[in-house]
Amino acid sequence: MAVILIVEDEIAINELIKKNLQLVGHQCTSVFNGETALSELKSHIYDLIILDIMLPEQDGFEVFEKVQTTPTIFLTARNSLSDRVKGLSMGADDYLTKPFEMLELLARVEAVLRRTQKNNQCFELGDVRIDFDSHQVFIMEQLIECTPKEFKLLEVLVNNRNIALSRERLLELVWGYDYIGDSRTIDVHIQKLRKKLGWEKLIKTVYKIGYRLEVNQ
Amino acid sequence: MKYRTFLTTFLLFLFFFNLGILIITYVMFKDTLRQAEERSLAEHYMITSAIVKDFYAIESRGSDIEESVDSLFQPYRYFSSNTESSLVLYKEEQQVYSTSKETLLSKSLKPPKDGNRLVSFQETDNRTYVIVSGKLPSPYDFYTLVYLFDTTDTITSWAKMKNTLFLVGLTLVTLLAFGLLLLLNRIFKPLSQITQTSREIAAGAYETRLSVSGNDELAKMSQSFNYMAEEIHRQMKELITAAEKKQQFIDNFAHELHTPLTAIYGYAEYLQKAALTDDDRLSAISYIMSESKRVQTLSNQLLDLANLKNDQIVWEEQNVNELFQSVKQTLHSKIRKKKIKTDFYSEIDGIKGDASLLKSLFVNLMDNAIKACEMDGHVMIRAVLEDGKKIVCIQDNGKGMSPEITEYITEPFYRVEKSRSRKDGGTGLGLSICKQIVLRHNADLEFISHPGKGMIAKVIFTTS
Repeated sequence: MAVILIVEDEIAINELIKKNLQLVGHQCTSVFNGETALSELKSHIYDLIILDIMLPEQDGFEVFEKVQTTPTIFLTARNSLSDRVKGLSMGADDYLTKPFEMLELLARVEAVLRRTQKNNQCFELGDVRIDFDSHQVFIMEQLIECTPKEFKLLEVLVNNRNIALSRERLLELVWGYDYIGDSRTIDVHIQKLRKKLGWEKLIKTVYKIGYRLEVNQ
Repeated sequence: MKYRTFLTTFLLFLFFFNLGILIITYVMFKDTLRQAEERSLAEHYMITSAIVKDFYAIESRGSDIEESVDSLFQPYRYFSSNTESSLVLYKEEQQVYSTSKETLLSKSLKPPKDGNRLVSFQETDNRTYVIVSGKLPSPYDFYTLVYLFDTTDTITSWAKMKNTLFLVGLTLVTLLAFGLLLLLNRIFKPLSQITQTSREIAAGAYETRLSVSGNDELAKMSQSFNYMAEEIHRQMKELITAAEKKQQFIDNFAHELHTPLTAIYGYAEYLQKAALTDDDRLSAISYIMSESKRVQTLSNQLLDLANLKNDQIVWEEQNVNELFQSVKQTLHSKIRKKKIKTDFYSEIDGIKGDASLLKSLFVNLMDNAIKACEMDGHVMIRAVLEDGKKIVCIQDNGKGMSPEITEYITEPFYRVEKSRSRKDGGTGLGLSICKQIVLRHNADLEFISHPGKGMIAKVIFTTS
């Protein structure tokens, strides 16, 4: 979906972010210091940079000053207010503090990409095409009727594809924090989506966790 | 305080000064009156005795006293010519003769019967008189002679003098008030300066000092005030540095902890939620394991650091060569990996200290030296005797660092690079532990280095 540059000197975390972003279909490049990040940015075009603040030689802020045109999410273990304010006031698009959750990372990346990418947001899988801007779903270019909740659930599943989402998390993401309902609601909606899209095999039930939309990477 | 002192001093002065004037004038007044009284009594006595003699003479001639009174009193006529005094003669209650025109006397002026004379003062029409009345001696004791003496002038002159005194007093008091005010201002000026300065210091201007001049009590007070301000400033600075160091430590510690925890949690979540290949799973698990190991090492080293400060160390004679051999053995694989050339040289037989601590000290220092080296580097450890002190030097020909940085490298979690990169591994506590070990052995740890010229770590033992 998007081409993302990950600038993080901790190999383990760099690798982790890369793996997570690849799950939902992003194309990632890992670099481990500011200098290679800058040369990488000169030779390639990226949709988003995930930039650690504490980097060897020149820190994330210094790197950011030189690449201001590319959307950036700052990443750091320091959660001090001054750092957050500094990052955002410099024009960063978002801020992520370690330790972070996979879903948080993906949600923020998704949000920034939607804000910054102007072209039509579509997702295609087999015969199914989902248009996120017009909130429409097509099978073989035939419009399928979806309720707003069904569409929202579909959107969450697509955005977090290849990741198992618990029923609680789905409730939270689709219905909102304050929804007081049965997690069976999720099961009912999932069944409906499977039937409507013919995704019985793609939306998998993950044992003891929840559901996962599996898409070949 | 200033005005209270001024008021107290001023009022006290006013009180005693006026009291003094009052006493003086009172004494003078008494004295004046006494003089007037004595003089009147003397005059009265003189006249009385003269008149009695005259009475005898008249009686012996056989003439009537009362008829010749006029001529008798002729010599005392001068009394009526001046206004100061006058004479009056009574026979029983009857006035027989008077030198003054008006009668000033009241009936109450009857002298006592026993022949004493009565002295009294009387004020009439703003004039004061001393009145002496006394009977003539027998056989003429039915005559009473009254002598009047006008003391108004003396009293007036006394009053004048009294007024002058009070006027002079008033002038002096005014002058004193000004003088006192000036003096107090001068005395209290340093005090108000101190007030001002201490307010400034309290408001945060710790560099403010009093100007000290002279050698009196105030100058001494200013000096100790400045000393106090200096001490407070110094201690404030120390506290601030300590607080900053602590904050730095906490920040760094949070970072050191967050990074592996982020990785552990992230990979665990990845394992739980993603559909994975076996390769992916294995790499995620190995990341979880290595990052857990890192947290474990960190917690162990923090414990070591904490324990080092409290635990008792075992003082034993350690053989230097054996110590070096075991250090080399521990780092054997790292030395081989980087193909480091090592040299051990010792001119000391033994060092007193804790075996495991000393080993860990030299292992740490040598490990750092190896990390600083490129492939085929050279690390040299020497134990020498300099000025009677045992010194162990660990020298490498690695990348070195600037002398300013060497000051901080024993701070916990300090990293030469701004980033807290873990490329070389380690937790950033190694040199802090070294420093603690060295301190527990009453030794000193010095680093001599220049960028590109390698580094010498010197452990200087003083009591071992």
